[in-house]
Amino acid sequence: MEEITFKVAPESKVKKKPSFLKPWLSLKYLFKKPVTIKIPYESIEPAEGYRGFHTLDWNKCVGCNFCGQICPARAIEMTWIEVDGKMEKRPHPKIDYGRCTFCQFCVEVCPPGALGFVESYMLTTEWNEEELQLFDWVPIHPDKFKEIQETYRDWRFPVEKIKFDKETKEVTYYLRNGEEFKFKILGYGIRPPKPPAKPTVKAEEKAQAKPEEKTQTKKPELDAESEKAD
Amino acid sequence: MVSQQELIREARENGMELLPLEKDTYELFFGPQHMATENYSLILKMDGHRVVKAIANVGFLHRGFEKLAEYRPWHTNIALLLRICVPEPDVPEAIYSMAVDEIMGWEVPDRAQWIRTTVLEMARVSAYLFWIMGLSFKLGVYTAGQWAAAYRERLMALFEQLTGGRVYHIYTIPGGVRRDIPGDRWLRELKDTVEYIKAKLKDFDNLLFENYIAHRRLEGIGVMDKKFALAEGVTGPNLRATGVAYDVRRADPYLLYPELDFEVPVLKEGDALARAMIRRFELEQDLYILEQLLEMGPPSGPYKVQDPRLKNLPRLKVPAGDAFAHVEATKGDFGAYVVSDGKNKPYRVQIRGPSISHGVRVIEQLLVGARLADVPVILMSLDNCPPDIDR
Repeated sequence: MEEITFKVAPESKVKKKPSFLKPWLSLKYLFKKPVTIKIPYESIEPAEGYRGFHTLDWNKCVGCNFCGQICPARAIEMTWIEVDGKMEKRPHPKIDYGRCTFCQFCVEVCPPGALGFVESYMLTTEWNEEELQLFDWVPIHPDKFKEIQETYRDWRFPVEKIKFDKETKEVTYYLRNGEEFKFKILGYGIRPPKPPAKPTVKAEEKAQAKPEEKTQTKKPELDAESEKAD
Repeated sequence: MVSQQELIREARENGMELLPLEKDTYELFFGPQHMATENYSLILKMDGHRVVKAIANVGFLHRGFEKLAEYRPWHTNIALLLRICVPEPDVPEAIYSMAVDEIMGWEVPDRAQWIRTTVLEMARVSAYLFWIMGLSFKLGVYTAGQWAAAYRERLMALFEQLTGGRVYHIYTIPGGVRRDIPGDRWLRELKDTVEYIKAKLKDFDNLLFENYIAHRRLEGIGVMDKKFALAEGVTGPNLRATGVAYDVRRADPYLLYPELDFEVPVLKEGDALARAMIRRFELEQDLYILEQLLEMGPPSGPYKVQDPRLKNLPRLKVPAGDAFAHVEATKGDFGAYVVSDGKNKPYRVQIRGPSISHGVRVIEQLLVGARLADVPVILMSLDNCPPDIDR
């Protein structure tokens, strides 16, 4: 076997001699300015591109469930959503920040680039039941999130309160800048919800929604099959 | 009344071990709540303030990393495996990525290699600063530890700009890295930080490494001889402190290390003082390596392999095969053995952490005869990292 030559450092360079006086030289730091930051009067701002909360462009999202498959913590659940009485054509990811590891692989794999992230990162609550529900959400549009982030710049969650009506399945996001954002959650999973799962949709709308569903089912089914095979 | 011998025999039949009670000795549970042990525990059999027998009690951190890795897509494992080594999470990322690159047959672009080397060296510097913090706290020189934490903060800010994360970077992926360098400003900031920490090394020497009291505390405790260290598979600074010149960066060069110039420190004493001195010198050498890398400058080109398969990450299939990759971490030789059977998930990922040798068998031998006050110091001088053992 070939002999490997290491450039070995001379022992005199590595070894240090003990000294009784030298430690006292550190007293000079008594007269220097401390590096400590006085929180909460001062704060560090996150760097540009810090991996924080997600954003989602609902128009771009095609509901391919790539984000759900790559997620190491399985924090993403596909959700069927109805906005203003009209069902979205594709399911959208719902992110549970209790599980999320903020690796942002979901953002990296998103084929249409619908998922994104902003620098806001404060994942804290005062441990109220209401607040605990906050961190399981379908992300909002990046422009809206960035607007809220710019106005407050305290890197907190943009939603103050999430109200979920169990009977009508209506969800209301009360944003921090006073806006309200309403939609309905019809069901979960990559397949579209069955008709009984959406009692509020009228018969006429159902007939309209049906041809759309047929086109949708094609890809989600493929996804489901491959998942079983895995 | 059953005799003691019978109790011991009965316990042994059921796969347990009962230590016989002796006069003047007592059992002391050291950790896992103790600050020095970090999610790790030692059962010490004490005679007065001397250790008679030590048993390493591991398993407090076991999260089944290796088994979990078999159920997740290839890229997703990066977010999991880096948790094996908290002070330098780039090491498990790099070894896993290098192993997968080898199976895939990917030639990592020059720019990605430069970034990987820089990130690994930055991780080494920040891990050594973290170690200085630990050692000085255990010796009672709290000031040096607080300095080290403050200087490490600068490196964490640089990591934050580069990778988007402060502690868990999730940055090195199979085929390159995830993001490009943020710009020339980042390189200038890194250069400033390297110069800053280099200037502060003198203060660390004055207060900690040339301190008379620190020398008295460290000298002659936890002595390990060459034969024992080689037999137990000790690697890294702990092995170099016993007089063996071995460094993975020279013995099995990877990334840009063949082009870089650095010296390997070797001492013969094998005690805690020698280990501390070797780590101190390596911190100096790492800063020197970073200076060389900055002088070299990042080569232009892509930072990721240009492969259409990378567009479909959840279904990325790695051809059947196996590969082993290892790097020199601050704790020793860190290696990963990855086996693929052609699916979109690994068949097996085996991580070889350096602490498995010096954190279990070696520590049990080194602690015999040590004073109770020296136990945390010996633990820290070995730079034990419990997640390596419990991976």
